[in-house]
Amino acid sequence: MREAAAWTPVALLGALGALALGAAVLDGVLVAGPRRGGAADPFREVARLLVQQRRRTLLADTLLVRTGVYGLLLVAVLAGVVLPLGDRPVADLAAGVVWFNAMEVCAWGALWLTGWGVNSVYPLVGGYRFVAQGVAYELPHMFALITAALGAGSLRVGDVVAAQRGLWFAVWMPVALAVYLVSAVAMAFWGPMDGPVAPDIAGGVRAELSGPDRLVFQAGRYTLLAVVAAAAVPLFLGGGAGPVLPPWLWTSLKTVAVLALLVWIGYGLPTVRMDRFMWLSWLVLIPAALLQLLVVAIVVL
Amino acid sequence: MGLSAWLTRHAAARPRPIVVTAPHGTRLRLLTEAELSRRGWRDARSPAGADLLVVCGTPADALTRAVQVVWTETPVPRALVELRGDPRPGRVATALDDAVGRLADARSQHLDAAGRANAPAPLPHPDSEGQDGGHGGEHDEGHSEGHGEGHGEGHSGGHGHRMGDPGGVPMARRGPDRDGLALDRLHVPLGPVLVDWPAGLVVETVLQGDVIQRARVEVAAGLGEERFWDAPWLAALEGRHVPRGEAARRRAASHLDSLGRLLSVAGWRGAAAESRRLRDRLLWERPHEGLSRGRAGAEVSRDFTGFARRVRRSRLLGWMLRDLGTARPAPGRAVPVPGDVAASLDRWLDETGAALEDLGDRSPLGDSEGPRGPVDERPSEELLAVLPALVTGTELAVARLIVAGLDPDLDQVRPAREASHG
Repeated sequence: MREAAAWTPVALLGALGALALGAAVLDGVLVAGPRRGGAADPFREVARLLVQQRRRTLLADTLLVRTGVYGLLLVAVLAGVVLPLGDRPVADLAAGVVWFNAMEVCAWGALWLTGWGVNSVYPLVGGYRFVAQGVAYELPHMFALITAALGAGSLRVGDVVAAQRGLWFAVWMPVALAVYLVSAVAMAFWGPMDGPVAPDIAGGVRAELSGPDRLVFQAGRYTLLAVVAAAAVPLFLGGGAGPVLPPWLWTSLKTVAVLALLVWIGYGLPTVRMDRFMWLSWLVLIPAALLQLLVVAIVVL
Repeated sequence: MGLSAWLTRHAAARPRPIVVTAPHGTRLRLLTEAELSRRGWRDARSPAGADLLVVCGTPADALTRAVQVVWTETPVPRALVELRGDPRPGRVATALDDAVGRLADARSQHLDAAGRANAPAPLPHPDSEGQDGGHGGEHDEGHSEGHGEGHGEGHSGGHGHRMGDPGGVPMARRGPDRDGLALDRLHVPLGPVLVDWPAGLVVETVLQGDVIQRARVEVAAGLGEERFWDAPWLAALEGRHVPRGEAARRRAASHLDSLGRLLSVAGWRGAAAESRRLRDRLLWERPHEGLSRGRAGAEVSRDFTGFARRVRRSRLLGWMLRDLGTARPAPGRAVPVPGDVAASLDRWLDETGAALEDLGDRSPLGDSEGPRGPVDERPSEELLAVLPALVTGTELAVARLIVAGLDPDLDQVRPAREASHG
């Protein structure tokens, strides 16, 4: 493990914060409509939630709820530590891809704890939905990650970037990228995979959250979305590679592009229900991801 | 106080409203939604996420109680706006501006929070005790969000502490479900306060997991007479002169309202917003210089064509809506239920397109075929009658789509029906 400079954790937090806020601003603009002041909504929302009362539900398991709410933000940040900001990440782990996946899976737990802990129907239903969603997306997601790692012959994120010096993985493993993006959106429970927090169940998992709890939950959700978007860059889009501009700027530009795409998709597509999506996931996404894995394995050999 | 007062003021400028509508309050709801959309205010999904409660129309008893529960659930800072009686567009804007002022008043919000901490626990409703055997962890009849919850010290008071029931709340009873599992049965009312939900509708459900095992329809009534969507046809039946174009405008707006609701429940925020903007333009856009009403209608018609094409072209939406709500109603029903939810969507798009062609028709209206069928037969009563059978055995997400696909208009429901329940 190479030593990272002392400022990189600060840079990571700053970058994730800026990306999360940017995603919230873009979403605000989309929702409010053009020229209706939606860009400032996230800032007002922060102000509102900071001064808002924290409400309690009857017989809630506060420890579980707090663990879930704060855990979501924590694992999103922890998943980000293996992503290279310019040339190197905060923690250049030998099994960085596995670490990234492990942290993401913790989001699964965080959401379920929140949904379960508040002792209320709609959050509970939101929790159920996310568990079902996990069954649908997690396997294709892991296969997509493993495909990138196999192409590089290493689980280190830096090596995956280095292996794309000639040709981006997005070009010769497009199926893996597509599967990654679909499953990443599901992971971040973002539209069209936003069933766990959907309006039809009054906001689902977050239905009962108010005040600082809601603020942290929302921050965690946007950070997770930013992290899964950012991870697509080193895994499939060549990391910091690009002409003229320095690597950190290329990384940022690509990340912003992927993130904007995800936010826009969330606004422009209807919610995918897991009762319908499940067969697509198991009968199309998993076989497609496995075939892609096979092709990559043959090429690498 | 300095910083929190500043934050309070900053946040108050754009509150997140939750809109509750009583039956016969449709006109006020539409005016409110148009004004909220004009201001670009983002709506809240649940009382916890809201700071502004807007009540449109005059709720009767059950709905009044539900509104009270929602109000106690709304965290401070909060403001309440009650719109009733004579609806003038200007009044809605003024009321919302006033609410912003109250939300920005950090001092009185502070007092509200303090008063709340000292307030006596709200009493549970008398009918929340001793319902059918499996009264679950969920109580609070008429409770908007349908969760068994209060404010910590709150609602447990009246239930009596049974042995083994934590906090005095009865534990959920179990029963076999469709997959052969023994899961908790929860008694959950859907509505009356739920976003994108027909005003005044309450579906009392027994849930296992997120599957509805039993469903029963109730109506949380509102005071008043007006049937906004049926008004042109009712007037024509009374012998008044109503131009066909006027009725066509109302029909198109009604279907766009239904479409907006269905698309929103389906999670397609972009298309839902588009549908509602078209609706608002049809209903409230006044002709101004250089733009006659006919021209404005032509512009709406053109924008609708693009919107309809995008909605129809979405394979994802079709895939999600197909084959939902196809259970057949009992024989002998007067009103045929449209096939699946996808068919409702298609029908609304077709009829809206056709109605937009007729906006300029000045000939007198001679039929009684309103947006939901013959207005004198009150088709929504039939929709409510078939609703329980359609949603029983479905998951909550599917049930919500089915309800949105039927979109009953409770303004049509006679008081007699309301009295027969309870």
